[in-house]
Amino acid sequence: MSADSVAIVGFVVLFALMLLRVPVGMAMGLVGVSGYAYLSGGAPALKLVGQTSMRTVTDYQFGVIPMFLLMGAFVSNSGVSRELFRAANTFVGHLRGGLGLATIVSCGGFAAISGSSVATAATFSTVAYPEMRRYGYPQSFATGVIAAGGTLGAMLPPSTVLAVYGLITQQDIGKLFMAGILPGLLAMTMYMATIAVICRVKPDFLPIAAKASWAERLEGLRDVWAPVVLFVFVIGGLYGGVFTPTEAGGVGAAGAFLLGVLRGRLGRAEIRASLLQATRTAAAVFTVLIGALLFGYFLTITQVPQKVTEFLTGLGIGAYGVLALIMVMYLVLGCLMDAMAMIILTVPIIFPLVTALGFDPIWFGVIIVMTVELGLIHPPVGMNVFVIKSVVQDVSFASIFKGVLPFIATDILRLVILIAFPVIALWLPSQM
Amino acid sequence: MKRSLMDRIIDTIEAIAAMFVGLVAADIFLSVLLRRFFNLQIPDSYDFGRMLLGILIFWGIAATSYRGGHITVDLVWVSASPRWKRAIDVFATLVLLFVVTVQTYTLFDKVHATYNDNVLTYDLGLPTWPFFAIAWAGDVSAVVLIAIRTWRLIFHPEDLHDESPAAR
Repeated sequence: MSADSVAIVGFVVLFALMLLRVPVGMAMGLVGVSGYAYLSGGAPALKLVGQTSMRTVTDYQFGVIPMFLLMGAFVSNSGVSRELFRAANTFVGHLRGGLGLATIVSCGGFAAISGSSVATAATFSTVAYPEMRRYGYPQSFATGVIAAGGTLGAMLPPSTVLAVYGLITQQDIGKLFMAGILPGLLAMTMYMATIAVICRVKPDFLPIAAKASWAERLEGLRDVWAPVVLFVFVIGGLYGGVFTPTEAGGVGAAGAFLLGVLRGRLGRAEIRASLLQATRTAAAVFTVLIGALLFGYFLTITQVPQKVTEFLTGLGIGAYGVLALIMVMYLVLGCLMDAMAMIILTVPIIFPLVTALGFDPIWFGVIIVMTVELGLIHPPVGMNVFVIKSVVQDVSFASIFKGVLPFIATDILRLVILIAFPVIALWLPSQM
Repeated sequence: MKRSLMDRIIDTIEAIAAMFVGLVAADIFLSVLLRRFFNLQIPDSYDFGRMLLGILIFWGIAATSYRGGHITVDLVWVSASPRWKRAIDVFATLVLLFVVTVQTYTLFDKVHATYNDNVLTYDLGLPTWPFFAIAWAGDVSAVVLIAIRTWRLIFHPEDLHDESPAAR
């Protein structure tokens, strides 16, 4: 069989294994090593497994992932999500659609620490949904706004997905985190504008909650000062070059632990749960990373990235035409797999193409993460929708998708804005 | 009685992995603190950090594999009947067992090579092979746990604690 045929068979087997629920990283590793063994011999292929696995898990730079996961787990288990929601609610809850606005603001705050879309969506399904339903918000809107708010987790720093993109493409993770800030804030603003438009078009659709006093507002702010200070310290340190990304994660995790313990929010059970949560997620991400690196050898030997680049640049549709094709591919893949798997599987193939087309790798990281996040909420199988449905049992998928539709439109508009004005993503990193 | 022993083994493995993530965070935090404020450096902090990271990940893979916490594509699985769901799970777990067994076998070579080459840490000149061996032991425990998971999937599916979002 020629290398091209081996590559095609490899991809078919890979997708078949993934559809049969073989863990994505294991499927990539198995196909990558088998394909490599077929073309180069069994002994060198087997040698790759041990070397690549050990090299990946002992790479200090990769420590950024478990450290930020641990920071997110400590903060999350300290009950911060509830406090953020309560604080945001005291300021905007009395406006029409105010609980939706509070959900977006607190999702943004929580995302800025947890770094995970799915965790944000799951958390706010338990925190914000019951409150919105108590005030008579429609199920579709309540779940839709949580699904959309959850996507902020992958954009605002410290985003695990952006960190993984940086590790795969060898881009500066600190710059990638900074690049996500303005697009993340733009997303929050546009989601809130969407809620305002919904209220304008359908004035009686969303109710109004009671107005909080200034004493209650100050009380709410007092509850959230600690995570805000931690976020500013960690991200500020990264921005100012005081810490490397791994160090920022380690300091953030230790800071979250100390704040949680000193404020009496973290007991033995919460500490244990946080450590376990971070370990399990880190192990899952590293499994995919090891698999992707093994699959990368297969891609190199079959020259798939070069062939994809030659094919797409030869279509004559221009750089932005190719970019549009890539984004459509991600939206389709979003129906199949989660953001992390999509990024790890596809970026090694398309990254050479993107750089050949002259796009900025940092900007592209932001665009690609935004696109895969859109995949988390668009029908027929958005992962965030799936997660919300697993927490909120009494709502149908159709209802959640109905609620999320206006936010999908907003996301598409935001993507267009970021493609037209790359400076939104690139300005902050250029100041580092 | 036999099954509760299995559960205790699984809990212990998870606790070991969780302890190492805490140790890595403490190592990084202390080394940053000492370097920034006291101009001191923990000897081999960098080497300890990366080797503890390796240990935590392999022990973590063991726990994650048992709990079904890996990143998977659940599109077909969610729409399958309970019988097919179980068949898919058994197939996926057998593939997982095969891959991790091969990984464990090849990792032993790496540990052996580190021992033979007498690779030392940068500052203190400590041998690194014991760290690699502890990490490798995590991969061995992954094989054991996946084998237990396969056994339970086939004979005692009610004893499994699957944690993937689709399974909840």
